[in-house]
Amino acid sequence: MIFTSFNFLLFFPATVIIYYLTPVKFRWLTLLFASYFFYICTKPVFALLLAGVTLSTYIFTRLIDSTSIERRKKLLMQINVCLILFPLFFFKYFSGINYAILVFLESIHVRLDLPDIKLILPIGISFYTFMAIGYTVDVYNEKIRSEKNLGMVALFISFFPLVLSGPIERAKNMLPQFNAIKPANYEMIVQGLKLMLWGYFMKLVVADRLGIYIDAVYGHVSQHNGTSLLFASILYPFQEYADFGGYSIIAIGTANVLGINVIQNFKRPFFATSMSEFWRRWHISLISWLTDYVFTPLSFTFRKYKTWGIVIALMITFFLSGLWHGPALTFIVWGLIQGILLSIEALTNRKRAGFEKKHNLNRKGWYIFAGICVTFILFSASEVIDRATSINEAYHVFHRIIATRGTLFIGTPSTLIFSGIGLTMLLLKDFFDEFLPSRMLLFGSKHKFVRIMAYSSIIILILLIGVFDGGQFIYFQF
Amino acid sequence: MIKKIILNIALVGIVVFVLDFAIGRTLRYFYFRESSGLHFRSTYAMEQTRADILVFGSSPAVHHYIPELFESTLNMTFYNTGRDGNGAFYQLAVLKSVLKRYKPKIIIFDWSDTFKKDVSSYDRISSLLPYYRTHPEIRDIIEYKSKFEKVKLLSEIYPFNSEVFTIAIGNLNVNKQRKPDNKGFVALYKEWQCKINAIIPNPKYPVDTLKVNSFREFIVLAKEAGVKVFVIYSPMFLKFNRFQEFDICSKVCAEQKVPIWDCSRDTVFLKNNRLFQDIGHLNYKGAVIFSKQILEKIKTENQVKTPTL
Repeated sequence: MIFTSFNFLLFFPATVIIYYLTPVKFRWLTLLFASYFFYICTKPVFALLLAGVTLSTYIFTRLIDSTSIERRKKLLMQINVCLILFPLFFFKYFSGINYAILVFLESIHVRLDLPDIKLILPIGISFYTFMAIGYTVDVYNEKIRSEKNLGMVALFISFFPLVLSGPIERAKNMLPQFNAIKPANYEMIVQGLKLMLWGYFMKLVVADRLGIYIDAVYGHVSQHNGTSLLFASILYPFQEYADFGGYSIIAIGTANVLGINVIQNFKRPFFATSMSEFWRRWHISLISWLTDYVFTPLSFTFRKYKTWGIVIALMITFFLSGLWHGPALTFIVWGLIQGILLSIEALTNRKRAGFEKKHNLNRKGWYIFAGICVTFILFSASEVIDRATSINEAYHVFHRIIATRGTLFIGTPSTLIFSGIGLTMLLLKDFFDEFLPSRMLLFGSKHKFVRIMAYSSIIILILLIGVFDGGQFIYFQF
Repeated sequence: MIKKIILNIALVGIVVFVLDFAIGRTLRYFYFRESSGLHFRSTYAMEQTRADILVFGSSPAVHHYIPELFESTLNMTFYNTGRDGNGAFYQLAVLKSVLKRYKPKIIIFDWSDTFKKDVSSYDRISSLLPYYRTHPEIRDIIEYKSKFEKVKLLSEIYPFNSEVFTIAIGNLNVNKQRKPDNKGFVALYKEWQCKINAIIPNPKYPVDTLKVNSFREFIVLAKEAGVKVFVIYSPMFLKFNRFQEFDICSKVCAEQKVPIWDCSRDTVFLKNNRLFQDIGHLNYKGAVIFSKQILEKIKTENQVKTPTL
């Protein structure tokens, strides 16, 4: 079951009604049942894996909490991290490693007729594994106490709004909320519904419509000229944002309707003026997770190298970020590029900040605009590698963008027209939220009539130009 | 609080209902007023044509059969009901609507679809949604799309989702000049410039029995109505490995005693750039040669019976 399926439109209201009819004390139980039901609807057998990760995390965090011997605590933490990482590695990287070994053996003329093993990645495994690891490490670091109730741990790891694609939440934010579920809150429910509506708009009207064009171009790279490839490459980051950002907003809204607060995952990333700022606005939950559990410990380890220590920590962190996306070389190169760009910023940060301060550039519109454009160009260029199926294809895309010209591929004109309408609305909303937060409030207008008309118009727009036969969310593959 | 929430949701619901009704009805009105384009051709095929010869199929069907040649050679009227990208489900739906009104004499079924299980084939059923209300005979086919289709169709806008622009164009004369059709046939005039030598592999796939059954039902219904059916594999620029679908097609055709002609390996067309616009579609020059070939075959068969009306 996914958020854009008709099943979810039946499941969610039913869950909300049952949830609020359940006595407050037992609401967490309703959520747990709903979460497992939701996950079982995707592929029942993978719920066993989810339960296994939960059980392992519960047992080990309890053991960590009950021991006072530091070495033993560390060992228990490491065992659990390895245990819960094993399924992720197995399902995500086994086929890739197997294939790489076969290719290597073939290159040295050793031919093994092994069956081609293709494993289906359990949906959401990368997300709930990171949540479980975060919880284990937090208990080890004594940031939180281990949860005594197995059901609560199960709910934290399987909470249905987050289980498929995040945001990657932290136990210290979620467990207290599950333990003390509050009575229904009107403001929060309304806020949640608004977020859900906007998330559906982003996904169905913007992301899936842009996807039709981008897939048509990137699906046949050799048949398209540089103009079309450049245009598709510019559009791709917007598709990703509308897709994953839309998903995240639906997830946050869904949780809000149930009275649960979840961290923000995207914060108008295309208005960032530098790559470091961009990564504080894009997939925030993953980046903050990597910062806390990878970058910070690494930069502490490499502190004697000063700025270069930060560079090493950045490169390793983003290498892992690339690897998290998948075992393909494209993702690793993509991660390393992000690491390089951020390292350059880290190395030049002091000089740049001094220069900006001296000339008062941070308050100048043209400088902010130039920063936004440069950041977008850098990110879009790196996304070509992320989107391509291989490094070779990415090279061809770049080569064709530089070397070939021609008329822009239009395909079905309505695809670009509807994409334009959706994207303009999305960027306008982000623009106002970023620079003029008190203007153009439609969902947040003081006037009820304006609010009702705004909600209704978005629903009608989704019905009119939303893509109902679209694919899955891009981030489900990770 | 609950009362307030329900009241607000109800308010939004009412506004959405009113807007959905007004916009949906407007779109419906203009959809059925179109005088050219894809929508018009579908509506014409399902509701108006009374041609003796009907061509069914996806894009190759639309571009490969020249009406004048068929009409003059066989001395019968002709209409091409083909629609780009639409497979067995769409063809069966159109046939059911046609047979409800009259019985054509000849049906040419240009089969270029696969029997592969894929979601996109079911997504394509969307092109039939505007006819759900007025054509009860095709409702079961539309419901293949999803079990919730009946519920979704409570919305007046839903059948016209993503069609606003096409509806607008279809109501303008500009469409007739931009993409004119001749009795459903759309001529292509460019020549294929690229050089491709590889035979495109087509690995074995899981078969969608619903598609096979729809294909079979199409032939059975046509035969029961006394229509002469010819199943044709159109020419391709390259040799495609289409053994799996051809096996299934041949089996169904043999079991129903319907002729099947595989022209996809005809050396007149293979790798002949001059006769193609792209790897799957003949240009006008190619279409003339191909239509003449098919007419020769039909004449040779010489088994055209006049059905009882």
